Amino acid sequence: MSLLFANAQETQAPVKTTAKDTISKGVIPKKAAVANQPTIVPKKDSIIVPVKTDRYGIRLGIDLFKLSRSFYDKDYTGLELVGDYRLDKKHYLAAEVGNENKTTDDERLNFTTKGSYVKVGFDYNGYENWLDMENIISIGLRYGFSTFNQELNTYKIYNSNNYFGETPPLASGQKFNGLTASWIEVVAGMKAKVFNNVFMGFSLRFNRLISNKEPDNFENLYIPGFNRTYNGDFGVGFNYSITYFVPIFKKKVVPVDTKKVTKKK
Amino acid sequence: MKKTILFLFILCFSFSSCEKDDICDENTITTPRLVITFYDYNNSSVEKNVTNLTIIADGMEEKAVTFNGSTLINGSTVSIPLKIDAEMTTYRFILNFGSTNTAAPVNEDIIQFNYSTENIFVSRACGFKTNYTLNPTNPFVYSDPSVPLSKWMRLVEVKNSIIANENETHLAIYF
Repeated sequence: MSLLFANAQETQAPVKTTAKDTISKGVIPKKAAVANQPTIVPKKDSIIVPVKTDRYGIRLGIDLFKLSRSFYDKDYTGLELVGDYRLDKKHYLAAEVGNENKTTDDERLNFTTKGSYVKVGFDYNGYENWLDMENIISIGLRYGFSTFNQELNTYKIYNSNNYFGETPPLASGQKFNGLTASWIEVVAGMKAKVFNNVFMGFSLRFNRLISNKEPDNFENLYIPGFNRTYNGDFGVGFNYSITYFVPIFKKKVVPVDTKKVTKKK
Repeated sequence: MKKTILFLFILCFSFSSCEKDDICDENTITTPRLVITFYDYNNSSVEKNVTNLTIIADGMEEKAVTFNGSTLINGSTVSIPLKIDAEMTTYRFILNFGSTNTAAPVNEDIIQFNYSTENIFVSRACGFKTNYTLNPTNPFVYSDPSVPLSKWMRLVEVKNSIIANENETHLAIYF
């Protein structure tokens, strides 16, 4: 029954023809008409559909990538909590909160970054779910803010003339406190319900710095939440989340909505 | 939805163009060398070419400084590195290196440079660089190890005590 509804949603034309056919077949003995009855019904979908409801609530979870990396990467500990709240059929209020402690060991520099961040924004679900599925393929925006400190552990002097030979890395231990940065993130993500109210999700993020309080005689080469910085203020990131959906209330799906969607296609 | 996907693609490509900061660009100004220009003592505004000058740092045995691919300098300018892990570098300036001609004998002068260093952050790929400031009261000590031969340098003068790039002369030697 509901499968039929799905078909109806997909294309309007076949529904009409089915309806016509049944009407022309109206002469056929009653028994046959009864057999055909279910096919007639899609003419007005709101009649057959056992009222479809969307569930609204809060989804809370954790970034599995940061969590697992904390175990296998001795230079990294991090935690990110993720959450979203459904605003309407397609929009979600979304946020991430995290803390990172990362030592970056580069060719010429070794430094430790510690700090926390918060990202707030929204997701737009562009995926049209069938039946009672609650999957999400979304695009969204976040505003990110991080407060952190950096410690330069060792560094090397670049000398294009190596007459005296390459000097070993110099120990620094210099600390840069009270650093902040803010940025905008474009998020492309998906979440799939694996069972009950548990969702697995993946998101890819492109970041661009808005503000960046840099230390004297050093740079914010890594910003918690933003990740590694590149020359042009850009960054990339991703997360791999597992979330639990806490339903709060249900809303009926208004048929008008469905029609709109059909038109769009 | 299509528009957003297209937007993401454009974003992806714009990222690929700005990645390249793992290799220190040769054009980046990193640790500078001390730039020396030689002038004619009798006409102090005219640069004068040295002949077969070899410059060897104290403690480097016979390993000479290479400038423009050669250890024998015949132009009117030369750049020499200063030690980044010390505040003093001593160089032997050997004119007419390897010469057997008595008219132009081998002549060695010694200059000890005194300076302070400052390590400045450049970039992720380059790390830091060292800039130098020649000691304001005692920038160099000029001496001659061989008494019988007089010093070939007749006047040594600091032109720029701050050594932060190689575009300017830091030391002028008149001979």
